[in-house]
Amino acid sequence: MPSAISSVHLGKTYPKARPGKFALDDLSLEIPTGRVYGLIGRNGAGKTTFVRIAATQLAATLGTVYVLGHDIRTEERAIRTRIACVPQESRPLYFLNVEEVIYLYLKLRGLDPQDSRRRTNDVLSELSLTSYRRVLVSRLSGGIRRRTMCAMVLASDADVLFLDEPTTGLDPIARREVWQAIRRASRENRTIVLTTHYLDEAEALSSRLALIESGRLKLEGTPEDLRARVRYPYRVTIQGSFPREELDSYGKVSEIEGGMLLFTREQEAHEVARRALERGLRISMGPVSLEDIFLDVVGRSIEEDSESSEKDEATEEASA
Amino acid sequence: MSERNRLRSVLTLVQLNGIIPIRTTPLYILNTIASPLSFLFFIFIVSRGSYLDYGITGGMVLTMMTVGTSLQSDLTHYRHDLKFQDVVVASPVEAPTYVTGMALSELVYSLPALAVFVALFVALGHPTVVNLAVISGVCVLVWAFASALAFTLATYFQDVRETFLFSPMISLVLTVLPPVYYPLSALPAWAQTAALISPTTYAAELVQGSCGLGAPLTLSSAAVDWGVLIAFTAALFLLAAVKARWKEP
Repeated sequence: MPSAISSVHLGKTYPKARPGKFALDDLSLEIPTGRVYGLIGRNGAGKTTFVRIAATQLAATLGTVYVLGHDIRTEERAIRTRIACVPQESRPLYFLNVEEVIYLYLKLRGLDPQDSRRRTNDVLSELSLTSYRRVLVSRLSGGIRRRTMCAMVLASDADVLFLDEPTTGLDPIARREVWQAIRRASRENRTIVLTTHYLDEAEALSSRLALIESGRLKLEGTPEDLRARVRYPYRVTIQGSFPREELDSYGKVSEIEGGMLLFTREQEAHEVARRALERGLRISMGPVSLEDIFLDVVGRSIEEDSESSEKDEATEEASA
Repeated sequence: MSERNRLRSVLTLVQLNGIIPIRTTPLYILNTIASPLSFLFFIFIVSRGSYLDYGITGGMVLTMMTVGTSLQSDLTHYRHDLKFQDVVVASPVEAPTYVTGMALSELVYSLPALAVFVALFVALGHPTVVNLAVISGVCVLVWAFASALAFTLATYFQDVRETFLFSPMISLVLTVLPPVYYPLSALPAWAQTAALISPTTYAAELVQGSCGLGAPLTLSSAAVDWGVLIAFTAALFLLAAVKARWKEP
């Protein structure tokens, strides 16, 4: 499948950042056409920086990104005709009503009034915004404003949609309505780049995911690929008293309320489950969730960073 | 983007940022009229009516400059607080289309104030085809350079409060200190020389001269005034094209 977006050794240093501090560090990604691609990572990991560079809003320091075959360094105009973006923390203009926000955005992009009207009506209905169509944005809740921003972009004619934390502040039902609209856009062979802190959302929508930490790519692949690549792809929850020292040899153990949580490999998971059941304890077992993977990978990265900075400090002290 | 679509985008911005807000909050218009009319009232009282004609023509120039200061605040607010510029950047709309649309939308707010001054000019002044054409040309140039300057600055401000800092200073240099509301000869000699730095001085000379106010306008001085005004506008357009941050560095 051809890539809609290819980032090649992408690097970014902000003009006022301290020397050597990279917001993105040698990030290479292939985002397939017509799929939802999830970007996950901690706050400040570099997700938004990547989106802003690919959406031609921010200049790269090193490397480049090709969007639909066009280079962001030289062919911005060709890219911009085919993309749309909901930036992080963006809000609709407060003196417009919901219908005007969507309709005028589409006209601003150059769509003719009839097409803009039809698309506006369709998306208002799809995202359950019809009852708000004449309500001024200034009188809306944060969640409806965010949904309006999503509606605006989803109604557009763009081939690539950048959605930077699009469902922040939305209730569970509204989130699922946005998910449906995103899935529909994907079925129309549009490419969606989604950043989110909701890992269930990333897993539910994305055909591939990238986990970014400190500007670097830590893991990339389908949700199944990510599970296969972690040290311990199974989780076992044991309710009741089970000696911790017996579990330690199987993998990573942590105490939880009323029992123990073990991350381990498949065969060991079955073994531990059998032993727990023999003791009459209740267990639950299954593949790790995306959240487990996230905590494992990011946790290791934090440990490595702190070890490395401790080493640096020790070296500095020794040389002093 | 085709020319037809560019025009549609410009008109959409006028509707979005000019017509709709005025429809929902008509008080915006009073706000735009208040400043130039206050100046006119002040000049009228202080000069005991003798500078009324200057006040009327100066009011037209100041109204055009107000477009620039309002544009600067709006663009900064939209870019920084609403991320609207980022939404527009990631779309087929190009920077010149955006600025033109937004600058025209600000003009919508100023049209009532302009209408008041034109009515006063017709009632109390001596309108001719020539001076109306000169006033129109000067107003277009002032609107254009004020908008270009506003766009450039707005892409650098990190907070809308910075516009509150800069707008009064720009207004002071471009509208209050130059002899927009009074003849150049009313200033002390040193201030007359300093006023020549401001392009609005040349705009005011053209407007006043064409209306028979102050020193008579010769063909050569008119050519210099137009030349400076056009050169200044072109320089600010060039500055906007080269330095404005449509895409962040």
